Amino acid sequence: MGTRSEKSPAALGFLAVCDLEGRGLVGGYLLLNAAGRPLEFHCTAPVRPSRAQEILYGPTLEPFLYGEQIGRALVEKSAAKPLAVFTDREAVLAARPFVAAPLALVLKDSAASAATDSAKSENPLFPPPFHRFEYGANVLTLATAHAHDAPAIVERLAMHGVAFDLAEPFERIREAVREAHRDASARSAQPAAVAVNPPTAEAA
Amino acid sequence: MPPLALDLAGVTSWSLGAPPPIAVCTWGDVTPIAFTVAFDDSPTLSLAVDVLTPCALDPLASLAPRPAVVSVSARCQSPRTKSYVFAPPAEGAPPSFDDAPQGAVRIAAANGAANAAANRRSTRIRPPDDVVKLQDRLQYLLQPSLETLLADNALAFPFQPFSYQLDGVAFLFPRYSAVLADEMGLGKTMQAITAVRLLVRTAALRRVLLVCPKPLVTNWVREFALWAPEIPLAVIEGDQTKRRWQWHEVDAPVKIANYELLVRDREFVEQPGVHFDLVVLDEAQRIKNRSGTTSQTVRAVSRTRNWALTGTPVENSPEDLVGIFEFLSPGYLSRHMKPRAMGRAVADHILRRTKQQVLTELPPKLIRDAELELTPQQRHTYDLAENDGVLHLADMGEAVTIQHVFELVLRLKQVCNFDPATGASAKLERLSADLEEVAASGQKALIFSQWVQTLDKLKEHLAPFGPLEYHGGVPSARRDDVLQRFKEDPTKHVLLMSYGAGAVGLNLQFAGYVFLFDRWWNPAVEDQAINRAHRLGAAGPVTVTRFLTRSTIEERIDQVLQEKRELFDTILSGAGPARLGMSQAEIFGLFKLARPSLNPPVRDAA
Repeated sequence: MGTRSEKSPAALGFLAVCDLEGRGLVGGYLLLNAAGRPLEFHCTAPVRPSRAQEILYGPTLEPFLYGEQIGRALVEKSAAKPLAVFTDREAVLAARPFVAAPLALVLKDSAASAATDSAKSENPLFPPPFHRFEYGANVLTLATAHAHDAPAIVERLAMHGVAFDLAEPFERIREAVREAHRDASARSAQPAAVAVNPPTAEAA
Repeated sequence: MPPLALDLAGVTSWSLGAPPPIAVCTWGDVTPIAFTVAFDDSPTLSLAVDVLTPCALDPLASLAPRPAVVSVSARCQSPRTKSYVFAPPAEGAPPSFDDAPQGAVRIAAANGAANAAANRRSTRIRPPDDVVKLQDRLQYLLQPSLETLLADNALAFPFQPFSYQLDGVAFLFPRYSAVLADEMGLGKTMQAITAVRLLVRTAALRRVLLVCPKPLVTNWVREFALWAPEIPLAVIEGDQTKRRWQWHEVDAPVKIANYELLVRDREFVEQPGVHFDLVVLDEAQRIKNRSGTTSQTVRAVSRTRNWALTGTPVENSPEDLVGIFEFLSPGYLSRHMKPRAMGRAVADHILRRTKQQVLTELPPKLIRDAELELTPQQRHTYDLAENDGVLHLADMGEAVTIQHVFELVLRLKQVCNFDPATGASAKLERLSADLEEVAASGQKALIFSQWVQTLDKLKEHLAPFGPLEYHGGVPSARRDDVLQRFKEDPTKHVLLMSYGAGAVGLNLQFAGYVFLFDRWWNPAVEDQAINRAHRLGAAGPVTVTRFLTRSTIEERIDQVLQEKRELFDTILSGAGPARLGMSQAEIFGLFKLARPSLNPPVRDAA
């Protein structure tokens, strides 16, 4: 944070992946200021794995697509450097090794209690897969390997007085992604190109 | 109506849970639980307080709570809060508490489930359909929720708005042409004021002109003071010199003018340099006639945004809507459009909700038609008047005009109210009997008539019930006092109102009874009259009595009114073909007369 330009506003990244039925996965990345106002928005063209990828990646295909392909590309594309990045899809956490900022999963109300139970295990042979922590009313989790990000996230959010519901921006992203692709469909009868390295479309 | 908030103070811990309950409190050995309930317009509320056993807090035992339910009812007092304190279980409490280190109460207000959900609701501002550029549409979609925007701007409310009201604000906020057409009593005023407030805060508006009927000016001033106290207002009034100065020099963000005055001041308003970022028309059905002076004047005002507020965008025919849209977006609608096409065209510009759709907790409205036989004296007079009148019209042949027919209709309707010779009145007899009950139970009633003379007669006969008057003959300066006395004086059980003065914009929800002594030509106006009492904050059921004398002109008009009701529903739902309102042929048909061929067409009798 010390190297961050003082002129650039504090930004929080919100990374969502939507499944547009019949068209593929579309990533949306929204950067908000500390008051929850939008700074930047990027979304990808629809991504569909090839048959070869499905065979090669097997059960790791989802983290690969959500994290490495979509999440990483979007975060790298943005101009603002976020204090932290949040997602509402577990598979997106796979992008953490490729992004500089801490990346946390925001749990909704119903998911929070389940996560609480899974995070309770104290058996060293079976460590919980996630590290759960809280910021205000928000319940967040990190991949265990990156549990050390938790204090930094809490400190940065608190320092900038972030008080809004961290689960709310994902609804905005999904609506914006649907709108952008509805617009694309209206302009061209051809479906958007499938991309393994998805091009990003800057919309704001 | 649910309470606005449960302010839990002095508790060890509490949390919002899935409804119900809306709050769970725990206490230690000695700390009592205290909580405060804030009221909104509702004068009463019920709370169910479940005193849970300690084991109910243990997740393993959560399936077997053993609640002891304590029901609490309260009436609102001043200040509008009520506090409760629950002490921890004392020694000798029921066995379930004996070995408990802690106790808990679960508090659920009546309808609190919806309230709790509403509190966590997120109202999105969506782009109107006429915003076509993707970048602009995304700008709307990516903004925070309306609740967040309101909180960011530190916009406090005297009462928590209903979720549908926030939807209304989110509808108005981004629109340059909008009709808020909620049914009367749903709070169009509050929604418009809040949207204006938000736009003023975001610097999107600097000059707003609000135009309303003259009797409603004070109501708007009062509502602005309640919902947007920080916004300075200027009410255009006084002599010509003062008004000219107010139009040109006063720099208040919101100016309020009545329609008649705006027409008189047209030359001031049309001058260069007089521009408004937003013009809001209240009771916008006033401009349904495109060729009318009011419509022309309003359309001549230089403006950027246009909002129309009306509970009756279609009173008689689809052309009413064309008239309103001439102000909103000239040329957007055409009188030649079919109703379905018109419905599709306006769908994104009109927001209409009915009480039935959004106010599940509003007390019921009980409508009863009192079909009465005229007294013998009235019947004699009526038959003579009708027979003579019809013969006279028939004798006039092609010279008969719609005015002649109207005169006969009005004369007969007056006989239905009172026999001019003897003063006999079947309606008065029934009304007096009903009012005995109203007064005995400490209730209040609104009585509507289209004639001030009828109201005068009623005032004389209903003296035991302390009647007050509110009609065109009562000076504007006295009207607020009349309403205040009616509300606060327990000896005043009756308010006599004319449809013209009392049908719009007044909040009289403390009246439990409405009597329509005679019927208006247009059911929408009747609905507005009824909704003075049946609106948000009504304490109980509202009983509406519509007087109708059998085998008279009133009965025949009632049939036409029924058809008009169907018309209104049809146009706004876009469900099918629209039937025209009271046509010239129908008016002549009241007396089985043929319409003269040379008469100019008359479409609208309301």
